[in-house]
Amino acid sequence: MTDLAIAQTPSRRASVLGTIGSLIALPFRTWTGAIASVIFLTFCVIAVIGPWIAPYSPNANHFNAQGELLRLAAPSAAHWLGTTYYGSDVLSQLIVGTRIVVIVGLTCALFITLIGTNVGLISGYYGGRVDAVLMRITDLAFGIPFIPFAVVLVALLAPSTWNIILTISLLMWRTAARVIRSQVLSLKQRAFVKASQIAGASDLRIIYLHLFPNVLPMTMLYVAFDIAWAVIAEASVSFLGFGDPNQMSWGQMLYLAYLSGAIRHAWWWTIPPGVCLTLFVGSVFLIGREFEKLTNPKLA
Amino acid sequence: MMFWRYAGRRLVQTVVTLFLLLTIMFVMFRLIPGDPTTMLLGTGELPPEAQQQLRAAWGLDRPMWEQYLSYLANLARGDLGLSLYFRRPVMEIVLPMLGNTLILMAPILVIALAVGIWAGAYLGWHRGERVEQIGSLIALLPRALPIFWIAILLLMLFSYRLGWFPIGGMREQFFYPETWIQALPGYDLVMHLTLPVIAGAIYFISDPLMITRTAMLEVRGEDYMQFARAQGLSNRRLRQIARRNAFLPVLTYIAIMVGFALGGQVLLEYVFSWPGMGRLMVNSVAQRDYPVAQATFFLMAAVVIVLNFIVDLLYGWLDPRIVYD
Repeated sequence: MTDLAIAQTPSRRASVLGTIGSLIALPFRTWTGAIASVIFLTFCVIAVIGPWIAPYSPNANHFNAQGELLRLAAPSAAHWLGTTYYGSDVLSQLIVGTRIVVIVGLTCALFITLIGTNVGLISGYYGGRVDAVLMRITDLAFGIPFIPFAVVLVALLAPSTWNIILTISLLMWRTAARVIRSQVLSLKQRAFVKASQIAGASDLRIIYLHLFPNVLPMTMLYVAFDIAWAVIAEASVSFLGFGDPNQMSWGQMLYLAYLSGAIRHAWWWTIPPGVCLTLFVGSVFLIGREFEKLTNPKLA
Repeated sequence: MMFWRYAGRRLVQTVVTLFLLLTIMFVMFRLIPGDPTTMLLGTGELPPEAQQQLRAAWGLDRPMWEQYLSYLANLARGDLGLSLYFRRPVMEIVLPMLGNTLILMAPILVIALAVGIWAGAYLGWHRGERVEQIGSLIALLPRALPIFWIAILLLMLFSYRLGWFPIGGMREQFFYPETWIQALPGYDLVMHLTLPVIAGAIYFISDPLMITRTAMLEVRGEDYMQFARAQGLSNRRLRQIARRNAFLPVLTYIAIMVGFALGGQVLLEYVFSWPGMGRLMVNSVAQRDYPVAQATFFLMAAVVIVLNFIVDLLYGWLDPRIVYD
């Protein structure tokens, strides 16, 4: 892993709120970043209002004039993206499925960041035995292949959205922990940390008020990438058939399309979920790249 | 001398990691409600005495730590137990699948690394030019594409619509060559390999590309590059120097990628019904065949851990500037 440098000068006065504010405005500085942010926010809005704007209920069965189940109907005025093998409206599933994708992405990013940042901060700041133990655990997490682990654990715990979130979070904190630790190792040699220590500030105070705001840009970078990985991981687990059977998600849609053999010709069922996944993950990547430029100016 | 001490310590760490992983898995697979006998017997169709007998035969009536110790002892002899589904030793089932996975992944890795490293070095060298700006944006795209979706698109187009390639599996059941092209050795296998290899190569290409590009960017700013330029060396020679020096971080990544590729091919094998380890794992989990699931999972993880160990050693050996602490 390359050691990234912090662009801004670390300082004791960096405030958490101020940093967050400037970080949110950051992706809008380039046109790729701005487009990506708009796409990302659009998906977030659809996630919130999805059930109200979806034309039908995602699992409703539709019938034709003869009263037969409307299997794999091509796109039409009534069903803009056609119907599934089970006679449901693809567009409605796509819209309603956005919610689960956004929830999984954001929740996992939150958990991963909480675990990863704390492990990194504590490991880097205390060093010694604490560091050794935490870093061996991180090494172990790095040795576990992700998708197989997720499949095994979700299958053992019974498929549900929460178990998928739990599984993803249990492994993915590893990268953030390692990178933030290396940041803290260099930060804690700086004068402002030494000064606080001499002034008698408690360890907790130094970690969370002095070190944390300075690793925040790095954390934001990992939040962005974690959202992307978490969403792909959820889609993959769902695609393998271990998703929550009661929740429609894009991965679940592709699983059903593949299972029913509809990928033969029903492009209206297989293309849209993949396009949405790619747009969502791609937009998050591009936003992450803007943060990457901040933390590693050589890339800019 | 320092190197050997470092190597020794890393070896111990690697063994401990593998051991911990085994333990975690043993516990994980025993946390499942019910035991394998319930799966074997179905829903209470056999009398309880028979079930008791089976439990004794499988050693499931003994305390957990005893089971753990005998599990480790068997493993040390290369015995991974019996498959509940196939009723055959796990090793007999897993090993051929491991071979099939290697057949699939080897061309993917070779193509992804060769093209990725070449393109990454090219983009890194042409930093700031239009070709680089557009190139890096395109290179990001495969990273956002879910691998199973790339696979589905290829299947839709080339197998279902155009009928050029088989829709899955590794070999045709009864294959009779009709033309001289089909009579060429390995024709059937290559036809089955083509689509999965393309899908895998597209997916695995961006990481080596981005890493090489970043490494190239960093090398370009180094003092020795300035010096080489001031010496009036040709552009071609400058590029060679930069490429060689940019290779180190790429090397670390190659091992990580090989490890992940072996563990992360599950989706690819699933879509193309490739009879490899990943598909075996998904099936055995779905069939609750835990000894097989456990073995495949452990093999995938072990590959990653051992490769990481090898790379750490190689890295220190290749870059004399690295200090062991």
